[in-house]
Amino acid sequence: MTARARRLDAERLELGGGLEVLLQAALAGMRPGEEVEVVTPSRAVALELQGWSRVEGHAAAEPVALGREGGGVGPRWTVRVRRGPGRRILVGEPPAFDGVPPLRGDGELHTADWRATGPAPPPPARADPRAGLVPLGALPEAGGPPFAWRLHERDQVWADDVGELAEQASAQQWDASRDVPWAAAQTLAEPLRRAVADVMTFIAQNEYAALYVPAAFLPQVHPAYPEALMWLAGHVHDEARHVEVFTKRALLAGARGHALAATQLSLRTLLDERDFTNAALLLNVLGEGTFLDLLRFVERHAPDPATAAAARLAHRDERRHVHFGVSHVRRTLAEDPDRRAQLVGAAEERAAKLTELSGLSPLLTEGLTIMAAGSLRPAALSEGARAVRALLATMERNRIRRLRAAGFDRAAARRLSELHTPNLM
Amino acid sequence: MTGDELLTVGAVAYHPRVVTIWERFRAYFADAGVPTDYVLYSNYERLVDAVHSGEVEIAWSTNTAFVALERRLGREARMLGMRDVDADFASVIAVRRGEGFADVRELAGRRLALGSRDSGHAAILPLHYLRRQGLDAARECSELLRFDADLGKHGDTGDSELRVVQAVAEGAADAGALGDATWAAFRAAGVPATAELELAWRSPTYCHCTFTALPSLDGALAERWRQALLAMERENPTLREAMDLEGVRRWVPGERGGYADLFAAVAELEGVAA
Repeated sequence: MTARARRLDAERLELGGGLEVLLQAALAGMRPGEEVEVVTPSRAVALELQGWSRVEGHAAAEPVALGREGGGVGPRWTVRVRRGPGRRILVGEPPAFDGVPPLRGDGELHTADWRATGPAPPPPARADPRAGLVPLGALPEAGGPPFAWRLHERDQVWADDVGELAEQASAQQWDASRDVPWAAAQTLAEPLRRAVADVMTFIAQNEYAALYVPAAFLPQVHPAYPEALMWLAGHVHDEARHVEVFTKRALLAGARGHALAATQLSLRTLLDERDFTNAALLLNVLGEGTFLDLLRFVERHAPDPATAAAARLAHRDERRHVHFGVSHVRRTLAEDPDRRAQLVGAAEERAAKLTELSGLSPLLTEGLTIMAAGSLRPAALSEGARAVRALLATMERNRIRRLRAAGFDRAAARRLSELHTPNLM
Repeated sequence: MTGDELLTVGAVAYHPRVVTIWERFRAYFADAGVPTDYVLYSNYERLVDAVHSGEVEIAWSTNTAFVALERRLGREARMLGMRDVDADFASVIAVRRGEGFADVRELAGRRLALGSRDSGHAAILPLHYLRRQGLDAARECSELLRFDADLGKHGDTGDSELRVVQAVAEGAADAGALGDATWAAFRAAGVPATAELELAWRSPTYCHCTFTALPSLDGALAERWRQALLAMERENPTLREAMDLEGVRRWVPGERGGYADLFAAVAELEGVAA
């Protein structure tokens, strides 16, 4: 053993009580073959260091009694530990830690800023599909089990503002039990009671699909794209709350709403979609986009403040989802214009499965008409029917506008809007 | 044997992880050009029989099993290598905090707990070294509490050593013997029974497990296998898990001198039995 070694005063520490932490910290900074001299007032501790060192891949010499040397108050022992050759963790030489993430003026820390200015790298164009669960900036240890991430290319899942959208989703969370004035929802009479039950049930049914679609993609997304994961997790959470809030509103109506088979058929085709971008077009841009107008209509014609609040809160979330869909599809088309045909193809394929749907369910049209009318008086019903017709026209106009924003030309946008399910989602 | 050069290693299944270990090692040896299969036994006596009869060519043996094989052979077996942790192995004695001793003769009249009676590190060698240092524990301790928890497995499971430290912590024994590596593992894992215990004694060092073969094993083949074993690297991610499970950071050549004390201890035991 070499003559000079760093000295480490263990004081009263023992193994299992913090000494192992002190030793590992010291050994981490040493090269193989270098020695550290551990000094302890406890003979018992000196006796356990050799076994520990050997198990940890190092070597310790026999304890040496120091007596009272060095001005200590009692006898002391030293044990020389020589660092072994192995690494504790199988990682390569880490790149330099390149600065700290910048905070915004109000002290907020956004992942996008971290990406933009370092130390986190920009999202990779392609990530190793076998790589494991490695947080942004962390050093991956070799030897983990292989994964098989299906969505391991940035363009498959990315939107340029996905990080900020995920931040917004976190900031705009709400509570379906407390943030809706439920006491105001209990006083409806017929025919509004049945109309509200059916419309709310229809919306809740659709929200189930909006929940399952992103949830199915979530476990396929490579961990190298945490913003996309946070986005999808927020999306799923939003939709779960929408299912909750519209189910609650339907229950409080005091009548049983109808979960219609035609709605199931339309939604089932949405769940069958396996391509992320196709699903973003069909669900986010077309389905949730159309729902934006529906929710706005429900809020405007709500018979009570609880229904209005539920529609307003859900609308705020759906706007984010639509924004993501438009942003993702636009990015996809900009990167690869050939995807346009595939996206139209996906809409055509879905429409082909829905040929037996001839229009919006009469039950829903009637429910919306009654909500807008407020009663069965003919004059009111006439106004209600006019409002529903206007809603359908608005939906179509806005669908085309969103499709244009997503990068489709006028003809393709019109075609896609026409192919869209009469079920609205 | 299914091929001219297929070697078979026998090992004892002291834990389900032994299958994981040997499946990985089997793949490694195949890649290294020394195809090796394995057979697991439930106890070391069967393993010694198996290597003695030629059922397996190589045995992954405890020190006690190695000594048993050579005594049965009446001559030296081949040593093919051991874990780094097997060199400089030691036994320790744990006592309740503040009840340590400087001289093993202070254990006279006290109760000593021991692990499985076929364990070199938790029973046979502690008794041997205590005797060498002046304490005939069987006669002079007021009681020997033996925890024969994993007989046939020569202490591999660590189960009997856990009972030993529990007995001392609970006051059923005044001192308890176990392997120093087991003690380190217990302390690292925060085993509650060790919290109020400390070490009072550490034995001289000896060697523990070793790969052994009959002297009749083809020398060139044995050497190729030995070279492949020594070349295993924990830095290799595909081997790391198996090596960690086996408790080895690198394989090192065997050291015959590290078994001399155990030969003496086993001979003493025979003398006592006779």
